[in-house]
Amino acid sequence: MPMVLLECDKDIPEREQHVYIKAEGENTTMFLPASNVATIPGTLSERGCSFCGAKLVIGAVIKDTIQLIHGPIGCAYDTWHTKRYISDNDNFQLKYAWSSGMKESHVIFGGEKQLEKSINEAFDAMPESKRMFLYTTCTTALIGDDTRAVARRVMDQRPDVDIFIIECPGFAGVSQSKGHHVLNISWMNDKVGTLEPEITSPYTINFIGDYNIQGDTFLLQEYWDRLGIQVIAHFTGNATYDELRCMHRAQLNVVNCARSAGYIANELKKRYGIPRLDMDAWGFRYMADGLRKIGAFFGIEDKVEQLIEEEYAKYKPQLDWYRERLTGKKMAIWTGGPRLWHWTRAVEEDLGVEVVAMSSKFGHQEDFEKAIARGRVGTVYIDDANEKEFFEVIDMVRPDVIFTGPRVGELVKKMHIPYINGHAYHNGPYMGFLGFVNLARDMYNAVKSPMWKLAAQDIREV
Amino acid sequence: MSCTVIKKKRAGVINPVSNCQPCGAQYAALGIKDCISLVHGGQGCSMFVRLVFAQHFKENFEIASSSLHEDAAVFGGGKRVEEGIEVMARRYPDLRVIPVITTCSTEIIGDDIEGTIRNAKARLKKIFPDREIHILPVHTPSFRSTHVAGYNECITAMVKGMAKQTTANGKLNIFSGWANPGDVQVFKSYCQEMMVDATIIPDMEPLDSPTLPSKEVLTGGGTTVEDLAGTGDALGSLCCNRYEGVDAGRYLEDSFDVPMQLVNTPIGIRNTDAMLHAISDMTGKPIPESLVKERGLAIDALTDLTHMFFADKKVAIFGNPDLVIGLAQFCKEIELDPALLLLGDDAYNFSRDPRIKELEEGLDHDMEVVANADLWELEDRIKNQGIHYDLILGHSKGRYVAIDNNIPMVRVGFPTFDRAGMYRQPIIGYRGAVILGELIANTLFSHMEYTHDREWILNTW
Amino acid sequence: MENKIEQLTEYIQKDCLWQFFSRAWDREENIEGVLNGTEALLTGPVEEATSDMDRCHMADAKVLSRAFTSSFGWIRDMNKEELHALFQGVKQRMREIVITSSHNEELHVKNY
Repeated sequence: MPMVLLECDKDIPEREQHVYIKAEGENTTMFLPASNVATIPGTLSERGCSFCGAKLVIGAVIKDTIQLIHGPIGCAYDTWHTKRYISDNDNFQLKYAWSSGMKESHVIFGGEKQLEKSINEAFDAMPESKRMFLYTTCTTALIGDDTRAVARRVMDQRPDVDIFIIECPGFAGVSQSKGHHVLNISWMNDKVGTLEPEITSPYTINFIGDYNIQGDTFLLQEYWDRLGIQVIAHFTGNATYDELRCMHRAQLNVVNCARSAGYIANELKKRYGIPRLDMDAWGFRYMADGLRKIGAFFGIEDKVEQLIEEEYAKYKPQLDWYRERLTGKKMAIWTGGPRLWHWTRAVEEDLGVEVVAMSSKFGHQEDFEKAIARGRVGTVYIDDANEKEFFEVIDMVRPDVIFTGPRVGELVKKMHIPYINGHAYHNGPYMGFLGFVNLARDMYNAVKSPMWKLAAQDIREV
Repeated sequence: MSCTVIKKKRAGVINPVSNCQPCGAQYAALGIKDCISLVHGGQGCSMFVRLVFAQHFKENFEIASSSLHEDAAVFGGGKRVEEGIEVMARRYPDLRVIPVITTCSTEIIGDDIEGTIRNAKARLKKIFPDREIHILPVHTPSFRSTHVAGYNECITAMVKGMAKQTTANGKLNIFSGWANPGDVQVFKSYCQEMMVDATIIPDMEPLDSPTLPSKEVLTGGGTTVEDLAGTGDALGSLCCNRYEGVDAGRYLEDSFDVPMQLVNTPIGIRNTDAMLHAISDMTGKPIPESLVKERGLAIDALTDLTHMFFADKKVAIFGNPDLVIGLAQFCKEIELDPALLLLGDDAYNFSRDPRIKELEEGLDHDMEVVANADLWELEDRIKNQGIHYDLILGHSKGRYVAIDNNIPMVRVGFPTFDRAGMYRQPIIGYRGAVILGELIANTLFSHMEYTHDREWILNTW
Repeated sequence: MENKIEQLTEYIQKDCLWQFFSRAWDREENIEGVLNGTEALLTGPVEEATSDMDRCHMADAKVLSRAFTSSFGWIRDMNKEELHALFQGVKQRMREIVITSSHNEELHVKNY
């Protein structure tokens, strides 16, 4: 079947280019949804802005850094308390939001003085933090404040601080994705290579595109420790600012989220010759294969096989317990982009769960190439799906569980379908072996909830 | 004993108390039936506000975006608004109200919203000659004031855009101010008990919506287009908050001679008394016995708590100015000492607010009022200035100040995402006073138990 | 032979992330590197990888060759020449799917 114009989209026929149902024998050379293009206004799309792609997804994860947003208050307020990226320093990064709090007079007369004061106040209030990410916003981009000059002035006055500037106002690009790109490339240009790490192992990697959601990074770090691998930098789960400046010294870049962080891996390959190895950190077989590749790269295959054996012995029986109970369940994935292709085969192979619909907010065609190549025949693949499309697709594919955000989760609850937080997890971590058992457990508990039966009953007919 | 009213001295913000104007406008519009806001700005301006709403209400709400991109920064975004309106009208056949909510970017670009709306209306007239969709300009540049003013702006724009004067309808307009479904329920129930026909603007009650066997989604506001049109024919307007929705009341008074009364935020016994008196004054309906009883129940319950548990406890309160001041008044009533009021707004002259003056009088402890406040004002006092508070009242964004400093905290205001069902609990009226008072007591009790602070008192309470 | 090429192509399509790198030149490099490595592992003997890039390709090749031998028993019965023809065919198909016939409009963007 080619691209599909859903019934709810008859008034916006352009949407046909974004919705695909895979038929037997088809591959991505025949059909590939349009993606990373502007949203039709008024469609109730799920997309956020590029500012949040930089700040919320990547920057704010860093555990020791002040994240100052130069703009009106909303941009700081709205990207605070939104995700579950934890750290081992008492979650400094979760607790604070900083803003220059732009007001009308700053818009008229310029906001640079206000910014400079705000920067100094933030460093004064948090003397333990000497690092700052400084973001421009729609307002400050439009009025043209010279944030770089301000940052330079502050760094001259305070030689022990370092400030990184990210210029991606919300209106730039078509989605969060633009913000990922800007942050990756700016970090590469401005900060990578400005500090030398202490090398403590013959095996060094960067682990790129993992944001320590509910402790993913901690879980993976346990594997690296057991294998004797030194992680120069996690981009950016539980990372410090200075670790990320040392990324040029790793021997290998291991990439999980290629969408939000593939750029920096590509640049590190181009500029420093560090090879890029992509893997899926979710799922048993995927995780094992990823570790095997890393083991092969460093010539430590035996250690890796031992680790895998231990992990399988510990967790495979638990996984299989859930597999028995989840086999044949139908799942939808409505997330940012990469989790479509990370998860579709992982849940199928490990849990017998069939992914029947996938929607990506900000994925590019590369993500759809992956999702469609890995995904099932008959599955619906949508780029930048909107609310009416969700309703229609639910009717078409009738999933038993949906991995998506909490807001859409509330919507599907009304349709008696459980949701699992596909961005921040319900009770993670979900990466690695233990993580995938957690995912299976959360899915099982969601599906088996007695509430769904009760919801379907009409009290007058009981 | 002193009361000081100051403005935050720092320029920047560390942990905001308040969101920006467009958030408030979107909140107000939630209470209108068959209404979807179109936020004219970057996609984040609606996307993340929708998320905050979902966190607070545990519900999904429909809000659209004009999806502003770079080209609009150069050529203007009017076309995207027109296109957005048409797409919404075509795909949502029941849609009757579209507030066009501006943001920082589109106000700076200087988009002609009124002109754009005229064009959009002309376009819709051709496509749907028999359908009336109210498209209302709501100017909410994010760099002015906060979500409080945005709320006020949207309510006022709705009333301005839809109120008509035909024949008197005998109804009372109630501008509730920033309210939860639980609060609106109290307004409705009191009016019913007083046999007053009231229009609640905005009616947030049905935002708390059921999961049904039919799978029908009923989430949405309750105030209809007809309700809003009828505000011009009402016998009066009751404005329950000084900064939230009051301009709509003033507009109706100025334009249609609908008399308006402004009362204190009806939190606590005295403020509720004043509200009921005002309703009675305006409608001529007596206060019924049932409310005398409800008042008595509240006093009965609160008296068990006040002098034994609450007296001399220092309270820090943050949030919307109307809420914080109302809570401070309630604290005084129940013998709690409001020691720090953090008003998350800079748009008003709070030292002139008669409620602040009233709080000052008869103060038997020190009280600080900080305007344009952020949460660092609270954290800094606790961590660096050694000031002690026994209780924090405020929304969930301040949770870590309480957690890290081991101070009991009651979630009140918006948003309250880290506690279950707070949106369902009223804080207004006698009912709200009991719920809030007992929630404070139980929070203090738990704290006594987990810190072994005279927890044995409760052995025999 | 064509059927065998399709079987391996399908496996790679469903499993391997290296085929989907961001740009055409990365994909070309990976197809050559990983599939030549895989072929070498199946025919043996394998030369010691000298560069980090080679080691990285060989890492993927090792996992892939193991998967091929366990999933496609017939591969063990093929001789060196047959394997070479097989992998030439697979590389050609891969190039076609993920580079020359790909609809991905970003493949030829100059910068990352």
